[in-house]
Amino acid sequence: MTEVSRDRTAARPAGSPEPGEDWIAELTSDGPRRDDALRRLHALLLRGARFQVSRMSGLRAMVGAAQVEDIITLAADEAMVAVLGKLATFEGRSRFTTWAYKFAVLQAAVELRRQAWSHREVPLDAVPQLAERQPSPDQYAEGAELAHAVRDALDRVLTPHQRRIALALIVDEVPIDVLAERLGTNRNALYKTLHDARVRLRAHLALQGYLTPSPGETR
Amino acid sequence: MTAADRPFTTEALSQLTTDPGPWLSCDDCFRLADRYVEVLLSGTPDPADELAAMPTHLAGCSACAEEAATLLLLAGGDGVDPAGALRRLTGG
Repeated sequence: MTEVSRDRTAARPAGSPEPGEDWIAELTSDGPRRDDALRRLHALLLRGARFQVSRMSGLRAMVGAAQVEDIITLAADEAMVAVLGKLATFEGRSRFTTWAYKFAVLQAAVELRRQAWSHREVPLDAVPQLAERQPSPDQYAEGAELAHAVRDALDRVLTPHQRRIALALIVDEVPIDVLAERLGTNRNALYKTLHDARVRLRAHLALQGYLTPSPGETR
Repeated sequence: MTAADRPFTTEALSQLTTDPGPWLSCDDCFRLADRYVEVLLSGTPDPADELAAMPTHLAGCSACAEEAATLLLLAGGDGVDPAGALRRLTGG
């Protein structure tokens, strides 16, 4: 039994519409029919938020139990607003419940990452050097030479901004939402920086003979 | 802890040099995620190929991947073994 199924206390599986159920019609109707649909939608979003948080055990342990419950509730509430505000954009290309769940999952994940890192420093002022360590025997076998080439490429082919973002996201493992908040930017912009950094690194490493470009990848 | 005193792990090496694939923003990944996980769960390819950039994006963006995996499990529900779909999430 998965955590999802354990989380379901109702007889009807989450995400499965009742016979004849039409979420859009019910959510855009009036009176008790709409009230009931809103209640069921909020329960679904709570379930989605709780499941997302349950899967982030490392970060969950960094915040208190009461705060975790607040995060779940807040995420479900914010997802409710988002879903209702975007009802007109639902194209029916997936089940409504899958479409709705993603708002709760996103809100819960972003909020837990933010809360878990709220008291942690994100070193961004310096441009740190990567540790020069003696590779283990395994690392020798798996490409110590490549590791050295990547270290060198980080310094030579990336801009200071690309290097800082790549190291923060991948080496320091700062969650992308947290980094975006600290830098006053957004997930898209940071991922674009990382994407461009990878393109540069791979092109350089391909020219040096350390890797083979994928089909369709331009040097 | 900063990058200066962190080990340069094999995982970090792999993540730094992974093929980023065609550009897909995190917003577009979110827009397509519900359809993508249902296509994976159904086991049938997307006829419009609109989802072609999703595996490499999810392989390169740990936050989007974490959220997409949760969505896949929620969408799969009971009676569906999600293991295969989870493997295919990032093109595996």
